[in-house]
Amino acid sequence: MNVRAVDLIREDCLSGLEGRSEQLSPLRGDTVVITGGTGFTGTWLAEMIAALNDQYSFGTKLILISRSTDHFKSTRPHLANRADITLVKSDVRYMVELPKETNWVIHAAANPDNRFHSTNPIEAMAIISDGTFAVLKAVDRCGDFKMFLNLSSGLIYGSQPLEVERISEHYAGAPSCGSVSSVYAEAKRFAETLCAAARSQARIPLVTARPFAFIGPYQSMDTPWAINNFIRDALNGSAIRVHGDGQTVRSYMYPSDMAYWYLRILTGGSSGLTYNVGNPEGITLQNLALMIAGHFTPSPEIRLHTAAGAAKTRFVPEVAMAVNELGLAQKVSMPQAIERTIRWNKA
Amino acid sequence: MKYVLVSDPSLRDGNHAIQHQLSEEQIAAYCRAADAAGVPIVEVGHGNGLGASSLQLGESKTPDDRALRVARENLKTTKLGIHVIPGFATIEKDLKHAIDIGVDVIRVAAHVTEADLTQRHIDFARSKNKTVFGVLMMSHMASPELLAEQAKKMESYGAEGFIFMDSAGHYLPSDVTERVVALKRELSIAIGFHAHNNLGMAIANSVAAVEAGASMLDGCARGFGAGAGNAQLEVLVAVLHRMGYETGIDLYKILDAADLAEKELMSVVPTIKSTSVVSGLAGVFSGFMKPVDRIAKQFNLDARDIFFELGRRKIIAGQEDIIIEVATELAKRTQTAPVQARSV
Repeated sequence: MNVRAVDLIREDCLSGLEGRSEQLSPLRGDTVVITGGTGFTGTWLAEMIAALNDQYSFGTKLILISRSTDHFKSTRPHLANRADITLVKSDVRYMVELPKETNWVIHAAANPDNRFHSTNPIEAMAIISDGTFAVLKAVDRCGDFKMFLNLSSGLIYGSQPLEVERISEHYAGAPSCGSVSSVYAEAKRFAETLCAAARSQARIPLVTARPFAFIGPYQSMDTPWAINNFIRDALNGSAIRVHGDGQTVRSYMYPSDMAYWYLRILTGGSSGLTYNVGNPEGITLQNLALMIAGHFTPSPEIRLHTAAGAAKTRFVPEVAMAVNELGLAQKVSMPQAIERTIRWNKA
Repeated sequence: MKYVLVSDPSLRDGNHAIQHQLSEEQIAAYCRAADAAGVPIVEVGHGNGLGASSLQLGESKTPDDRALRVARENLKTTKLGIHVIPGFATIEKDLKHAIDIGVDVIRVAAHVTEADLTQRHIDFARSKNKTVFGVLMMSHMASPELLAEQAKKMESYGAEGFIFMDSAGHYLPSDVTERVVALKRELSIAIGFHAHNNLGMAIANSVAAVEAGASMLDGCARGFGAGAGNAQLEVLVAVLHRMGYETGIDLYKILDAADLAEKELMSVVPTIKSTSVVSGLAGVFSGFMKPVDRIAKQFNLDARDIFFELGRRKIIAGQEDIIIEVATELAKRTQTAPVQARSV
């Protein structure tokens, strides 16, 4: 990763914190542990806390727990070599204790890649279920513990009906529990209930976030998700290919907003509550393709109906809980998110 | 009007029927005819797909490189497709080269329970911005639920459409309907069906597939394909048009293409021979027809007995070596007892 790419992310973090950093002041001088700390989410949280320390002198210590610390050291040295970041190589499922100074935990350990869920469904479920169990047990032994943020998933609502514009936290849908394709969502549901049990029985202060979809730096453009492939194909100078009629609706949040929202929910969220995290403004895949194409000269061709009969789907959150209770807002619009993602991938 | 995407694997599946002996001239002539008819996709290659030409499976008269180049030169609007079975086709040696030649549609195939094997090939083809469909062969060997589960894996790997093959020509229309319904429950990508005609059901099964919600069908000119052949393309198009489906294919010109195929590509038009009926009932891959007939003669056995034994052992494409093993065992048995007539 070159200096330009690192600088772009720091710009994003500082811009994301501008005018609202003090809302995260409970983190000052404290220790935050992130499980799954070297993935997309963990890396963005590390960037944000590093920015808080450098720009706002938060003095927050960060411990990233992951199986992939070696890879992180080689690909993210600007984070791995910082004095305020400690890497702990461990499989979250087999973790017995957390550092005794731990005040805050963000539990992000899970693999969201649906290719992995298909090929290793048992492993995918075990990482979430056994991992959550192990972390909750470890937290129970911490002395001055303040809050546990469980990162669940917007997928726990099951398929969003096309007529439901946005899914709120109270929506009662669920994935089909008899299907292998539900392993990730179903494991996340189990983890939420396990967290509720730990909050009740062990009195662990605990809040839940349900992430939807994101687009930004540190995401692999090869993951077979629509927006990633659209950007990859445009970067390669190829046509953007859209399944079906392009009327499937998605929404995407930029990761600097995501990271800020998670930290705000961690420090300001009420124990026992759940907050959707994502962009409430949906966009059709056809318009998304047009938006991406607009950043390239010559503009790539957009091909609709690359596969006849593709089903139309929708995945858009309602985020009124986060907005009304925590005063959260998105700073990066969808067009800006696309522009910044392309810029970073070109850097 | 509802649209059905028709793919034409005459120059791939048809190769099974003539021991993979299609020539460059035949490929060129049929590509021109299919292109003129507006066939959306023509699939070209060895019967078992890219990289499969071998002593074991039969050597292609026209190597992959030449076959694809000739097809590419003769297809203007029709897309060029290939059938890719990981194991036969490698990414470095075969797939990259085929993409360089200019294939448009890559259909990555595996046995019905082995979708896991397709991830790398699907990943690679998607990364090259190609249209990628997942294909599961011998689909009758799995329950509808297992088929849907395996198809879901292909969707998660990035397949943009999914096709299930009745490689043995074993299905009845109700079997197809049941599978499309299960697939629709599980997938959000397009669903397709590839029929074989062992029990005379290829067109009826294809109709059942679209009526249940499939939007992609395969058909071969005069049914030119393995064993008893595939759904007969020109009949399929006529039936779909009569049912009110749009295919983008010109009926007169596809009839002309079929006439040309009969004259130029095949020595014998596929018919449902006795062994085809037996292989359909036994659920054995239609491509086994020629080797089984040959080996049955060699061992002085009834080919039907070989088919039922292969079916009992659940043999799949690529296991052609087993035919000789089965024939040897049957021959030993017949030395002490005559072959019993089979009933089903």
